[in-house]
Amino acid sequence: MDIKKSSSNEKIGGLSIYVMVLGAVAVAFGCADILVWAGFSSGLNLGIIEIAGDDFFRWAWGGLVVLMGGLIMLSGAVDAGEIRQFAKVTLGALMLLMIAGTDIFARLCENIPAGEEAPEFFNSLGGFIGGFAPPYSPAILLLPFVLVIVYLAVKYDGEN
Amino acid sequence: MAGNFISEDERWDLVDRVSGCIVTYGIYRQSLRDVIGELTVVPLTGVPVAMAVLYAFWSIFGSFAGALMTDGFMVKLFDNYWLPWLQSVWPDPDGWLYFLFVGDPTADNCFEAFGMLTSGLFVSLGVVLWAVLIFYLMMTLLEDSGYLPRLAVLVDTLLHKIGLHGYAIVPAILGLGCNVPAVTATRILETRKQRFMMMTLLAIFIPCGAQLGVMLEVIPDSVGWVMLYLIAGFAIFGIVLDKIIPGKNPEILIDVPAYHIPDWNNVGKKLWMRTRGFLKEAVPFVMLGVLLVNLLYLGGVIQAISNFFEPLFVYWFGVPKETAGPLVAAFLRKDLAIAQLSAIPMTAYQMITSVVLISIYFPCVATFVVMLKEGWKQLLASVAVLICVVLVYGGLIHAIGILLGVA
Repeated sequence: MDIKKSSSNEKIGGLSIYVMVLGAVAVAFGCADILVWAGFSSGLNLGIIEIAGDDFFRWAWGGLVVLMGGLIMLSGAVDAGEIRQFAKVTLGALMLLMIAGTDIFARLCENIPAGEEAPEFFNSLGGFIGGFAPPYSPAILLLPFVLVIVYLAVKYDGEN
Repeated sequence: MAGNFISEDERWDLVDRVSGCIVTYGIYRQSLRDVIGELTVVPLTGVPVAMAVLYAFWSIFGSFAGALMTDGFMVKLFDNYWLPWLQSVWPDPDGWLYFLFVGDPTADNCFEAFGMLTSGLFVSLGVVLWAVLIFYLMMTLLEDSGYLPRLAVLVDTLLHKIGLHGYAIVPAILGLGCNVPAVTATRILETRKQRFMMMTLLAIFIPCGAQLGVMLEVIPDSVGWVMLYLIAGFAIFGIVLDKIIPGKNPEILIDVPAYHIPDWNNVGKKLWMRTRGFLKEAVPFVMLGVLLVNLLYLGGVIQAISNFFEPLFVYWFGVPKETAGPLVAAFLRKDLAIAQLSAIPMTAYQMITSVVLISIYFPCVATFVVMLKEGWKQLLASVAVLICVVLVYGGLIHAIGILLGVA
């Protein structure tokens, strides 16, 4: 998935296909977030993935950001090695990264304290680690794939 | 003296020699950062990015200030240790000194005790400190990474519709931390009209970080509705002020720097400077505010005000008459006033209306003083606008509630 190679040789290379798949999945996840929040389902729990849909801020606003991040990635998918297109892909990836990052940060903040009823101030190590167990939000599931784009962008920025 | 002059040709030669030494010529190659920078000011891609940035901003704010610091540690520290200890060692629970400093002897949490050393300390150190700290950290990161000027360019067209230009976003966002530096920041606007408009809109419709922190504690599920009412009010009254206030709304040139990773030394210094400044002003005001409000309660002043304004509160705004007490406290500290609301029994919609009323009611005394420094005529005009807005908008929110069947 080299940016310069795909730029010079082909409009739809490995990077483009990767971005198309990732963007399409992000769009689907964003739509699912919003639809569950809107009441089309009482909450979605498919093993590793969970959409609670109980909060406007997280699922409607956050879902809209995931949806738009996916669309921006898709708009840069064709000829993704060209700098303007790759910038769109990076921007979409950064939007998904913000949602996933804030989801993880929220879990971190919730799991450091022991909880309201417990007499201690800090959570036990087991309790803290257990707080990061599945199910995850769709944005967190997309995170490893988004980080590939971020890595390519950092590498590209460093080389140029 | 004549011997010291050089001819025009010699001067240009000198310019060529100097520029030859310091300017490097080459072909400009657009970097990835440049293109991303451009994309964040174009509405089609810039607006979604702004939505993502604001989402991240408020998510981190809520997680850190709400879930981690206040709910995670401070509530436990103040309610399980500080309050019981103070209640056990302070003599004479029926005395007026107990009422002033510890508050309600039957209270089991610092929010509802309402003494200077209970609610006063809890609100300032248990809630506000963390809200302000994380707000200013996020704000500094946005500033120093180069995003804030881009946001100014992006919202320029939108803000021109209400007679302001893009850089009005800076005092608006600063105001979400504290209205005091935000009023000073209105000086970056070009004309008297723009400065007056921004100052007035700030004082009325922008809730400060302390207020937001307490709102997250008292009405976590309704903060969105309160913000929606405030944003709508900002837009509606902005348009009205733009139409009725004479003056110009010129364009400005904004220097947009390249995106870069913030320098952590600068971030640390700014964060320390802003948080220290805020604490120096906020903590004494909160403590003295609780003391003064308790004195007013003891003297029967709040009761008299509640009785006097009962028809206005109950029939026009649709809120309980007891809201008068928090509204008096709001002049000292709005965060404190919202904390007081939590002890008054009311419906969810009445709570939303009351919080909006407290937000759009008089600016806190610190903001009032800074506005006075900007000119007493402007302050008087702002207060006149404010009274009209409170009466009109408060009634309008009540009317919306009636139409929706929730008021």
